[in-house]
Amino acid sequence: MYSRALARLLAWTLRLDVAINRVYPEDFNPLYYTGGLSNLFLTVLVLSGIFLFLYYVPSFNDAYISVQFITDQVPYGLIIRGIHRYAADGFMIAVLLHFFRNWFTDRFRFSRDEPWISGMMLLLFAGFLGVTGYVLVWDQRSQLLVAMTGRTLGAVPWIGGWLETQWQGSAGISNLLLPRMLYLHVGPAVMLYILLWWHYVRIRHPKVWPPAVWTLFSLGLVFLLTGLLPATSQPAARPETVPTTLAVDWLFLLPYIGLKVLSPLALIALAVVITLYGLYIPYQLPETPAAMGIRDSGIAQVIDANCTGCELCYFDCPYNAIVMVPSPHPGVTKAAQARKLFAIVLESRCVECGICIGACPFEALELPRLLERDIQEKVVQACRS
Amino acid sequence: MPELERPTAAPAPGTGRRAKIVGFLCDFAVDASALTAPDGTMRDAPNVTLIKVPCSGFVRPAWLEFALRNGAEGTFVCGCPLGDCFNRLGNNLIGDRVVQLRRRFERQKIHPDRIAAIYFGLHDREEFLRAVKAFSEHVAQLPGPVVPAPRAPGGGPVRPAARPAAGSHVIEAGQTPPSAPQQAGPPPEAREGS
Repeated sequence: MYSRALARLLAWTLRLDVAINRVYPEDFNPLYYTGGLSNLFLTVLVLSGIFLFLYYVPSFNDAYISVQFITDQVPYGLIIRGIHRYAADGFMIAVLLHFFRNWFTDRFRFSRDEPWISGMMLLLFAGFLGVTGYVLVWDQRSQLLVAMTGRTLGAVPWIGGWLETQWQGSAGISNLLLPRMLYLHVGPAVMLYILLWWHYVRIRHPKVWPPAVWTLFSLGLVFLLTGLLPATSQPAARPETVPTTLAVDWLFLLPYIGLKVLSPLALIALAVVITLYGLYIPYQLPETPAAMGIRDSGIAQVIDANCTGCELCYFDCPYNAIVMVPSPHPGVTKAAQARKLFAIVLESRCVECGICIGACPFEALELPRLLERDIQEKVVQACRS
Repeated sequence: MPELERPTAAPAPGTGRRAKIVGFLCDFAVDASALTAPDGTMRDAPNVTLIKVPCSGFVRPAWLEFALRNGAEGTFVCGCPLGDCFNRLGNNLIGDRVVQLRRRFERQKIHPDRIAAIYFGLHDREEFLRAVKAFSEHVAQLPGPVVPAPRAPGGGPVRPAARPAAGSHVIEAGQTPPSAPQQAGPPPEAREGS
């Protein structure tokens, strides 16, 4: 049932790709660049965020005023604020597309669990950043968000009170709240880059940027939205009265809608279950390729005698599974005798795709259960039939 | 796939002749199980035999040349759509390698249109079949022998006993293919599981 649903989702994903490929050349299909688009939006967010940080005052009385000052008085302040607002939406959309696409197309198998786990953490941090960003404006929505989050955290058994205090910075709402929120907005943003390093570290040639046309299109779209719908604040927060209606942002504040139907404890339990399941996704598959029902050709093997240390397999291996080490001894063939380096396959990272075999012009790599000889036999057989 | 969409001028002289085609098909690309007989021959195009490989990037360009030198009239590699390789860049790599090999073929007087890289996703069966048939028809119209007869340095044909040209592994009928180096892999009986 579950696997059938995933198979159908995979089919829909691929059908969508085919439809988009009819419109754009394959190199420009935006769905192939969701990760690059996320990174683009994140860069825009960081740059515009630095600008906003220069003028923002994290104090109870001045926060709202300083945001209004940025909007009305600072040159280009309205535009930069709008860019920060809409780039955040774009970031979230791109991240969610990236998440669902890689989920439905099984891009978490084998050694890709590290990008998956780091990606889940990036998603959590991104959502949290959105909430703290909404609090910083310190309008009525911010006030309600702080109250709702505090109440939800307070419902956690045993450590609820402590969590609530940590969230607010003090027992009640006090002037310590906004500096803490500012830190919780900037600190996790820095953390995103640490997680991004983890996200990329096992990947050779990650597609970090989208094609130039999509860069321009995304930036243009952000500017357009900024011009058409300038980012605005709600009325300023009043400590004496907590507002009762939440102006919902469906991208970032979705969990808060759940509070309408769920008790805070149930919401937290649901969030924990979803998060844990997300982290578990790569590990619910069977261990071996044979048990998954796909080809099991074995870990790529380097043939010592033929390896010339030319590094071609090292450049082409998609998961950094090949490392070059100083050659312990010369190779046997003429080309391999003067080698300085020698290729090593790290078994834990090898996904048995065989790309290194295609990269090697010296016949120095083989998949143990799909040798070059086997392929040649098949070719000869095919030509005879 | 520009090399496939090139319009073919006229029907082949002696229509109905089918060119022998060997195709390398990625496991994650188009699902051809409904299109092929158990031995890899395509039902609708019996002159085409598909060999499944773990990734299109796995294919060594030398194997395409090997196929041409061993009786195939055309070979192609089919991967996932560009940008959507399950192993990230395998289809881009084989695309580049096929382009390089086409240049090398031009120098060797082998018609470069005899090889191609095509890209079709899991469910694009009809499109794949159409592309393969178009490729097969195009290859059938190409002139001349697949591989030019080797020439000795002074001109004139090479005698069979002479060393074959560098890079070519010609296998005579009934002969076993050249053996791979000894270090590779477990003994033959362990390889049957794949």
